Amino acid sequence: MSYFNLDKKIEEFKMLLNDSIDFASRFYEKDDQKIAMIFLKSITDQELLSEAVFTPLQLYKGDLSIELLQNKILKCSDIKEIEEEEIVDEILGGKVVLITDFSSKIIAIDLYKFPTRQPTEPPTSPVIQGPREGFVEDLQTNITLIRRRLKTKNLVLKSLKIGSESQTKIAITYLKDVANEDVVNKVIKKLKKIKIDGIIDSYYILSFLEEHPNSLFKQVGNAEKPDIITAKMLEGKVAIIVDNSPIVLTVPFAIIEDLQNSNDYYTNHHYSSIIRVIRLLGLLIAILAPGFYLALQLFHYNILPLNFLITIADTTLGLPFTPFIEIAFIFLLFQILYEVSLRLPSYLGLATSVVGALILGDTGVKAGLISPPGVIIVALAKIALYTVPEQASQITVLQIIFLILGGALGIMGIMAGMVYVVNYLNKLDSYGTPYLAPYSPRIPKDLKDAIITNSIIEMDELPKTYSPKKEKRK
Amino acid sequence: MKDHISMRQAGIIALLIIFSNKILLLPALMHEYIKADAIFAILMLFAIEFMAVPIFLKLKRTFPQEKLYDILKRYITVVGAKLLYAASLVFMIFKALLIFSVVYVYLKEQIYQNEFVWIAIISFLPIMNHAVMSGLKPTARTMELFFNVLIAGFVFCLVISFFTPISTPYFFVSSAKDIFASIYKYAFTFGDSLFLFLIIDRIDYKKSEEKKFYFYVAFGMFLVVALFFLFYCKYQLTSFMHNNALADLLVFSVHFNAIGRLDIVAMLTIMLSTLFQMEIFCYGFCDSFVNIFPPLNKKYAVVLFDLVFLILYYIFIGKYEIMVKSTVTWLPVLGVIMGYVFPIACYVFTFLKRRQKNEKTD
Repeated sequence: MSYFNLDKKIEEFKMLLNDSIDFASRFYEKDDQKIAMIFLKSITDQELLSEAVFTPLQLYKGDLSIELLQNKILKCSDIKEIEEEEIVDEILGGKVVLITDFSSKIIAIDLYKFPTRQPTEPPTSPVIQGPREGFVEDLQTNITLIRRRLKTKNLVLKSLKIGSESQTKIAITYLKDVANEDVVNKVIKKLKKIKIDGIIDSYYILSFLEEHPNSLFKQVGNAEKPDIITAKMLEGKVAIIVDNSPIVLTVPFAIIEDLQNSNDYYTNHHYSSIIRVIRLLGLLIAILAPGFYLALQLFHYNILPLNFLITIADTTLGLPFTPFIEIAFIFLLFQILYEVSLRLPSYLGLATSVVGALILGDTGVKAGLISPPGVIIVALAKIALYTVPEQASQITVLQIIFLILGGALGIMGIMAGMVYVVNYLNKLDSYGTPYLAPYSPRIPKDLKDAIITNSIIEMDELPKTYSPKKEKRK
Repeated sequence: MKDHISMRQAGIIALLIIFSNKILLLPALMHEYIKADAIFAILMLFAIEFMAVPIFLKLKRTFPQEKLYDILKRYITVVGAKLLYAASLVFMIFKALLIFSVVYVYLKEQIYQNEFVWIAIISFLPIMNHAVMSGLKPTARTMELFFNVLIAGFVFCLVISFFTPISTPYFFVSSAKDIFASIYKYAFTFGDSLFLFLIIDRIDYKKSEEKKFYFYVAFGMFLVVALFFLFYCKYQLTSFMHNNALADLLVFSVHFNAIGRLDIVAMLTIMLSTLFQMEIFCYGFCDSFVNIFPPLNKKYAVVLFDLVFLILYYIFIGKYEIMVKSTVTWLPVLGVIMGYVFPIACYVFTFLKRRQKNEKTD
């Protein structure tokens, strides 16, 4: 008795997959038994197909049955029985589907293969000392990188598929004895609610995970390195890995995370503390320097030390622009150069720097369009911005806001702006975690790993900031 | 808990309200009246103000979750409670106006050089409104975050005064009568602990943290007394001419250590503490308003605050002296009621509650 008309079935699936050029089918016939294999050439390891499926079939002497194929003949670890309606999804997922004319059962063999890069050091998170592995675009590799670091039965990995067209696999991972259950449930609930056609990168789901999606400030952490993600999971955070993205997201998030760097934990903690203070200063300089300079120049020049005042007066005398327009112009110039340098091929990058820094800057000063102190202040702010690169976009917006406040209202405006921003940040939270913790609200025990950091030995307790299930690390 | 603050945050608020206008206005005004003996007046005023703290904590222990309005309603009827809140409303808006006027004059003289009233109003009002609208918790957390910066700035100003010649001021130059008259005259600048009573139901009370609360109050008082003392040590005879005590401590330290103009530290400290104090008074005003008119929410209260603030400010604009004079003529009565009579009444309430409890058990 013949269960399936294999030729007809193949034709049917070919049509369902729009007669794609990578659609492939192979037949194996022995005596009166016939097997059809359907797969997509572009995402299937054909060498493995030959080794694990064809060769064993040819070598087998005797009658075939689905059970025998599954348990004895085929040399694959991932073989499963599927329903007829699942066939298309399985093929699209890189599986080889086996249909026979001697059984109503259908099996799918995982022979998924696509070009993937090595887990090399990500360009955004280089380290002087410490692990250099970075996440890649393959979900399975990324899970392997985490699993290798957390060999515990407490590691939980849950899977979801999001995107009506992309069917992107998403893995939610956490340590079940550490992560707060409310956070885990909330993450799963939010992910399940997502209605979208395709997830191209993890940033696509970021807005869905944020509790205040219209806020300027990010409320979800991210990292490209497995050591960072593992450390975050050990603190009780939940990681979300998205297939096709090397960026792994974590929740809950507090702003202090962006002042911490994996390098800090691989060097002496005294040195790390100094670096973190510098990072904080860099952050403040980046946000406030242009606005503060403008406020001093426009409203409060009398509080500048005399020598500095003379220098500014000398260099700004005869400029055709008002101080506000001058700083705004330099700011715009830097922003354009930055955007250009990001998008230009690397071999043109040097030329851009020369044109930008030397020709535009120097000539602008010499032509009397802009003043040297103005260039220095904006350049300082723009460089300082990269002491906390994760917050670069937010800081740029704040730079503009404080520039306007400084230019319009002076120091009073800047102070008011600072209080406003901090008040606003204090209203924000990420999955119950206060945004400015452990400083506001003050959580004394968590200050061990804040701006001033202690040694690993002293960090024997899990940060309360993220409301973990247990208190002690052990 | 929603919109609840910790004991530490409440302590920081208490410290900030202790600073309220005492660090700017009071040293010069009091010196003009009773010279260096102002120290004794302020010590006595602080001693009485400090008494409000145990009363507040006792009230909190006696009525752990109850709103002040409900406590008042129970003992002095709804009309009495509403009248008291109305008095608080007036008290808060005038305190906000007083601080704004003093700081405005200071900033105009020191940095802005010319009229900048719109700049000041644009800088202050939205921040105060935002603080009220965002709730007590974020506001208290903001104060908590800036607290160390503010204290560092304040202490820096005090310490710097040691780098210029100072000498012990002459005490006991005024009569006891003058000292007591001064206490009454400037009573309005005290009594801000009322705000703590207003937010009594929004504080997460922990008995173990009472010491911390006392510490913040005592520390705040210590800093103000230290400022008075150093200010009088530095300007023995001319204190009354120096309107802004904290900033003037740095005046002759201009080129200290070749750093440059250090008075920017005082300016920033004053700006920051002013912003917080204004937020507190705006919150107090709006909270009182909402309790008087329960169907209306905070939005109405904020709008009313802005309107009343602007109208009253325009009555007093450029008339700083009138503003100050009004605070030492009719406002002391309100100051005495809100700062001293009210806490005593609260103590009576706790006593009555205990008696009721005892009667029930009997």
